[in-house]
Amino acid sequence: MSLRQLTKFSTITKKTIKEKSVKTILFLSAISAVIVIFSIIFFLFQDGYSIFQTAGLWEFLSGTRWNPTGEPPVYGAFSLIVGTLLVTIGAMVIAIPLSIGSAIFISEIASPRIRSIIKPAIELLAGIPSVVYGFFGLIVLTTWLRISFNQPSGESWLAGSILLGIMAIPTIASVAEDAISSVPREYKEGSLALGATKWQTISKVIVPSALSGITAAVILGMGRAIGETMAVMMVCGNPTYGLIPEPITNIFAPVKTLTATLGIEMGEVAQGSNHYHALFGLALLLLIITLAVNIIATVILGRLKEKQKKVLKKRIPLPYGISKKIKKTLYVIIGLLVAWLLFISSGIITTILILSIVASIYYISRKISAKNIQRVAFGAIISTIVIVIIILAILISYIVSNGIGAISWEFLTTEPADAGRAGGIFPAIVGTFYLIAGAILIALPLGVGSAIYLTEYTREGKLTKIIRAGADLLNGTPSIVFGLFGFAFLVLYLKMGISLVAGQVTLAFMILPTIIRTTEETLKSVPQSLREGSLALGATKWQTIRRVVLPPAAPGILTGAILGIGRAAGETAPIMFTAVAFSGAIPSSVFQPVMALPYHLYILSTNVPNSTQNAGGTALVLLLLVISIFLIAVIIRNHYKKTIKW
Amino acid sequence: MIKIVQTKKKKETKTLLAIGFLSITLISTTLLSGCTQNQNGLSIVVIGRDSASGTREFFWEHVMGKENFTSKLQEKNSNGGIYQTVTQTPGAIGYVGLGYVDSGVKALKINNITANAENVLAGTYPIARDLYLFTMGNASGLAKEFIEFIMSTEGQEIVDEEGFVPLPTSEAYNSTNKNPSGSLTIGGSTTVFPIIEKAKDAFKVKYPQISITVSSTGSGAGITSVMAGTVDIAMSSRDLKSSEDNKGLMKYTIASDGIAIIVNPENTYVDNITMEQLKAIYKGEITNWDELT
Repeated sequence: MSLRQLTKFSTITKKTIKEKSVKTILFLSAISAVIVIFSIIFFLFQDGYSIFQTAGLWEFLSGTRWNPTGEPPVYGAFSLIVGTLLVTIGAMVIAIPLSIGSAIFISEIASPRIRSIIKPAIELLAGIPSVVYGFFGLIVLTTWLRISFNQPSGESWLAGSILLGIMAIPTIASVAEDAISSVPREYKEGSLALGATKWQTISKVIVPSALSGITAAVILGMGRAIGETMAVMMVCGNPTYGLIPEPITNIFAPVKTLTATLGIEMGEVAQGSNHYHALFGLALLLLIITLAVNIIATVILGRLKEKQKKVLKKRIPLPYGISKKIKKTLYVIIGLLVAWLLFISSGIITTILILSIVASIYYISRKISAKNIQRVAFGAIISTIVIVIIILAILISYIVSNGIGAISWEFLTTEPADAGRAGGIFPAIVGTFYLIAGAILIALPLGVGSAIYLTEYTREGKLTKIIRAGADLLNGTPSIVFGLFGFAFLVLYLKMGISLVAGQVTLAFMILPTIIRTTEETLKSVPQSLREGSLALGATKWQTIRRVVLPPAAPGILTGAILGIGRAAGETAPIMFTAVAFSGAIPSSVFQPVMALPYHLYILSTNVPNSTQNAGGTALVLLLLVISIFLIAVIIRNHYKKTIKW
Repeated sequence: MIKIVQTKKKKETKTLLAIGFLSITLISTTLLSGCTQNQNGLSIVVIGRDSASGTREFFWEHVMGKENFTSKLQEKNSNGGIYQTVTQTPGAIGYVGLGYVDSGVKALKINNITANAENVLAGTYPIARDLYLFTMGNASGLAKEFIEFIMSTEGQEIVDEEGFVPLPTSEAYNSTNKNPSGSLTIGGSTTVFPIIEKAKDAFKVKYPQISITVSSTGSGAGITSVMAGTVDIAMSSRDLKSSEDNKGLMKYTIASDGIAIIVNPENTYVDNITMEQLKAIYKGEITNWDELT
């Protein structure tokens, strides 16, 4: 072998070694999401299972009294589960019409110009941090409910449902809009060509064919609502032993949800006690519920995608008459059920009244021309979007008007004094930046590596399915569960203590799925021909990825990272037990606790009397911070869409 | 022909609008009337602390005689939270540390004894307890200095200013030849929290080079954290439980505190309450302020 050949050989082996090590590193980051979700389940189970032994699994699930510090202690989670379900159902009743109306408006009715205003406005609702919703709910909403409905207390099931409903709107609206927009154009054109009105087309053709997507949207929104902590904790009243309202339709009764119980009690429980294990049992229960909900949504969405890909396999339809009969009986059953519920809740007179109104509306609607029906329907849809915009306007204007008075240079640059009533929030601002910087430093390499592995190194198969499922499950995990996991694993098990680093890692786990998903989508949008060209020129796989695929994907990845940052900046529950202190200096090492804006707002608005002004200021600063982060993401996204065309 | 069609359409639209309007008003009025309850007097909204709070534990033992609270008791996870709700809710009743009482709420007399520091010190106010700091082993270094500072005359003045009850005796703080450095983390009871916050500010004036972090997580969490070594000093509004005994914790009593029963200033029904009435309210046997006048 000549020297030349030898050097050539060694560069080749070097190259293959490099390629292999890159692949291994990428593989390791790819399975990180799976490892995290499994260790979450493992740690919750490890700390939670003993309560199923001491209290008994059935008693734990079916007992209606939650009194872990009583004598004897009682661990019955049933009323907490009922509380969670009631608040979620109420939220859905509010969110479903508003968000589906908005989705139909955006995708079918609005002109492109109006759409370009309304769509970001709805996305803005998603950007408002949960604790800001809670702050608004605590001060404005509960007081309004108490006075206008003449109730002794406004902190109730209804208050929680209203807030959660608003919070679920952007999730449901965006997924539903995707589903509606992806209905093939031909369906719509065909229907219109046959002489159907626009509304007939929407209601009889477009919505039915997008129905599974809309269902998935609703389920995803439900998942979000079930796992929400801060807002619910601040406005639901939290009756101490858990309370099933009597009658169950009493929307002004206070309820206690699973998440609120965790949020309130976790901070104060003695570690290792039965109460501590009981809380982990609750967290496990919560995780199982949300994961189940999310899995259902993922399965529906997955089927939808397959349907779009494959030519529709024709099912043998039932004979027309029979299917109609089935439909009719179904309608009758549902109608009876609704009537029964009405009867229980509000007595016979109102039931008859409402039923007769519904019947007359139905009867009259059959007599009215299609055009007028369209007018009414469009009126209703437009009113949903108007309601959503009004809600947004009220929220933003309240936060701004309430906070603007507190904002000054001193407020932004000095330390708090007098338990946060006076002075500024400088350490909290810095602390928040430290937290999100650390979180993104950890999550970005893992997430991008994982996405590269998924799109570039593997064929679709079992492995990718598992990794994707891991990321999806992680995405659906409630933020309070991350908090508990961070506390059990990082703070106690790894002995990090309540520290900056524990908070950074916890937040990184939380935003990991967002980054994986957005990066994957961007990488997929890079045309295959570019890769093939590069490989054909003799570049190795890693060279192709680094020099050809990643550069055009960079803006998309950046957008994902910024969205992750925005989410991390506004979250309270994950850092509540892992990283934050109410007052303190800027940390000099990562093993010290930090102050953070969302937690500062939470404590000011719930724990420190007479601090409304500074609480308002903190809320405004937090809102501005999160919204400007999201705006940057939107601008980059739009710019990228305009400039890069394949 | 065209005209006829148009008028027909107009009529249709009009009837439609009328029907829509009518049904909306009907539905909303029925809903509203169904929800609104007109009651005489003022319903009592019972507010309390969460199940791991030192204050709640004390209240449960000394007022409730370890009997269960009413299931409608609304939980707040801090003294401030209770205060906040009571100021916002006309019918509310809650219990907080003396330090949290100000003009925003009305503190009820118990058995005709006003809730204030003198009566707690004299031992006549029926619901009073001590406040503690805990360290793992004997306090040393910065932690020792800080605790000494709080127990000194200067520190006890802060206790007094914050509305709590100072220790009967204290000595002047001696800062000569001392140069503590480093950082200190403190966590625990929300009742003790205001004292420590103020003391921290005063202490940092003496020693600007040190840093102190305070978080108000509740007595239970404070004690847990100090045993786990994640904080240096735990604040607590309760003494150690049997499960926490013999773990090497050192106890420092820094102040006393009465538990004040607070109601909304708009509440004109009561100024004084007996222990029996208080218990009945928290058990849910008395549900309207009417029943107390």
